[in-house]
Amino acid sequence: MNLKRGMGMADARAMQPGIDVVDADTEADLRMLEALADWCDRYTPLVALDGVDGLFLDISGCSHLFGGEEALLSEMLRRFNEQGFDARAAIAGTAGTAWAVARSQGRAIVTDGDEADWLAPLPLAALRLDTEVCAALEAVGLRTVGAVMAVPRAPVTRRFGKALLLRLDQALGRIDEALSPRMPVPELSAERRLAEPVTDVEEVERVILPLAGSLKEALERLGAGALTLHLLLFRVDGGVIRLSLGLSRPTRDPERIGKLFHERLAALGESLDMGYGFDLIRLSALSLGPLVPKQTGLADDGDDNEANLALFIDRVGARFGRGVICKPIPVASHLPERAVALFPTAEAPDLTPQEIVRALQADRPLRLLRRPEPVEVMAEVPEGPPVRFRWRRAHYRITRSEGPERIEPEWWLTSDGKAKDYFCAEDSDGRRYWLYREGLYGNAGAAPRWFLHGVFA
Amino acid sequence: MVTSAVARETVFALRRQIAKIEGTLPERLADPGAEAIVLRGNGRVLGTADRAVTGVPSLDEALGGGLPKAALTEIHGRQIRDAASATGFVLALAGLLMGQPSAKQPMPLLWVGTGSMFAEAGFPYMHGISSLFGIAPQSMLFAEAPQPVDALWIAEEAAALKMLAAVILELPGNPRHLDLTATRRLHRRAAEAGRPVFLLRHSAEIESTAAPLRFVVTPAPAGMRRFLGRPLAGSIGPPAFTVDLHKNRLAPPARFILEWNAHERSFEQRTAEFQDGTQDPVALAPLSQRGTDMAATAGARMAFDLFRFTAAGRQS
Repeated sequence: MNLKRGMGMADARAMQPGIDVVDADTEADLRMLEALADWCDRYTPLVALDGVDGLFLDISGCSHLFGGEEALLSEMLRRFNEQGFDARAAIAGTAGTAWAVARSQGRAIVTDGDEADWLAPLPLAALRLDTEVCAALEAVGLRTVGAVMAVPRAPVTRRFGKALLLRLDQALGRIDEALSPRMPVPELSAERRLAEPVTDVEEVERVILPLAGSLKEALERLGAGALTLHLLLFRVDGGVIRLSLGLSRPTRDPERIGKLFHERLAALGESLDMGYGFDLIRLSALSLGPLVPKQTGLADDGDDNEANLALFIDRVGARFGRGVICKPIPVASHLPERAVALFPTAEAPDLTPQEIVRALQADRPLRLLRRPEPVEVMAEVPEGPPVRFRWRRAHYRITRSEGPERIEPEWWLTSDGKAKDYFCAEDSDGRRYWLYREGLYGNAGAAPRWFLHGVFA
Repeated sequence: MVTSAVARETVFALRRQIAKIEGTLPERLADPGAEAIVLRGNGRVLGTADRAVTGVPSLDEALGGGLPKAALTEIHGRQIRDAASATGFVLALAGLLMGQPSAKQPMPLLWVGTGSMFAEAGFPYMHGISSLFGIAPQSMLFAEAPQPVDALWIAEEAAALKMLAAVILELPGNPRHLDLTATRRLHRRAAEAGRPVFLLRHSAEIESTAAPLRFVVTPAPAGMRRFLGRPLAGSIGPPAFTVDLHKNRLAPPARFILEWNAHERSFEQRTAEFQDGTQDPVALAPLSQRGTDMAATAGARMAFDLFRFTAAGRQS
């Protein structure tokens, strides 16, 4: 079609009137690349993004699972092709050489030690250099990687900077290049390739059990249990579903892991998109905790009960999210809304009973509204207690009240906020409320407003 | 003591007749196992292995020796705005059953509710609960479920756990899933685990459930603070509840006005002394058995409609 990169739109339209113009969407491209990286997880857990259009896969020790490097490469390219991508891939001993060869030659496998021979005829751009450096090198007649390799190192470094030789050394394997994988590499993982894709949640659960069983053996050898588990479901059409599970105590019991993922999958229900089925299922333990087997007593089953409670909390967490079951922790603050913090049970700080007792406050309501609700109040005297009020479209007549208890804002943290005068008031039916007046009368500005903050027993 | 089968039979028949006359059902007498024996000292119920005394003799008598420790107990608040009273009563019962927390490993109390319930009636506030009912913060767990059916699921799973001291399931109105079967499952699990489960319901129509006990709690004016041994007029002291024992297999329905003594951690029945101080506006008429006034509150489940209705009624 004779169209080139960087061409103006008018020129392109003049050459090809039927052309379709779509704005570049770099974010969508990146999402796409990440989805592909997820998919590449099936070959190796070490997948790193390379700019906006490439992926690095560290396949050390993985290729034999696919019948050798040649078979791995052809299978990967075939699958990319089936998904509609034109991918170029090369396998080499160093990331730099693989990068250069993949982009210049397309499909190739560079055997170890032959890096220099493959790189020598390539243009300088193959070394992942800045365009200015490339231009400067070309200006002095160094047009290929081989030419740069041939010249003495010291003058080159002096004139063109360290980056040039660093890239060259990395490509030749003289300096190690660290790839930063996208996902944390799991401590342990077990996976199963399925000859026939599974399209049923129950079958997925059936695969999880043996996977957890093989994890268990490895965990027993380490004397550890899993704290974070990931279940990766690789779809036939390239999508990857990642389900993570946090546990409140280290676990290696396959039954329990199976149960928790059962809850997780049950909670997903219809929203789990299985497409044409999963052909690879991997269970990996991302973080471990020590788990020493305990000798069971003859009579006491207290530990068992404790384990049941932990399992219950994990199951609820797997089904509805980890924050669903939470624990109140007193906070050293005199503001009622700040005096309690809710933590998920596993993350709650461990306070001693003495610390808790010290932080407790007396004469506080039984239930506190999440947000104080404005009420219309009538008071006999401006600074006095309320006589009647209107809350949620109903009138209440107050027969008794106690107060005020003045609570000032935390001025050492924030400068805004007003003093609040809290009253405990009982209405004619015997309900007790915690009302407050925000601000004071007599100051310039708007009249103080009243709020209902909580209710007493 | 050796007794012949015939003599035993006669004794049981006589006991059953006495029970009928006294209004207590014969089931409790049919199998006088160790748990069913009521301990008394000076005529006061001292509690049994599976029951906890409330501190009010007449209430303990009506409950057949105290509050059951391994059962589903239903507590109704008539309206959302009575939530605090019903909550307070449930926590008082839970506090009684949990007893003194052991310092080493306190068993937690799990409170299950839905997000909308907590938003409407307010989230349980740890400081108030601890100071009034003696339930330590480290033994409190809250579960905020997205939907009532999810809350029911969590409560059902939790009811079977021995490590939980008690489970409170709080739901407004009459959710579809909370039927006789669901409550029966809760009750069975509570009985098997030996732990109490409280079903705290707000503005719900009273329907048949498997709970052996049902309380309907309405607020009552608080007692007065005591100053120099005398009640201090105009002060707001210990919380009080008007408790209707609405369903009870062992005694006819009854009404109690109970005051919670936070220091003794026990209930006290309201005495005449209080009446001298201020007028007690609570009508002492028995609760309507046909439930006509119940229906008025139960028809409107959420507070807003309800309040509009009552507000209009008051203005006219």
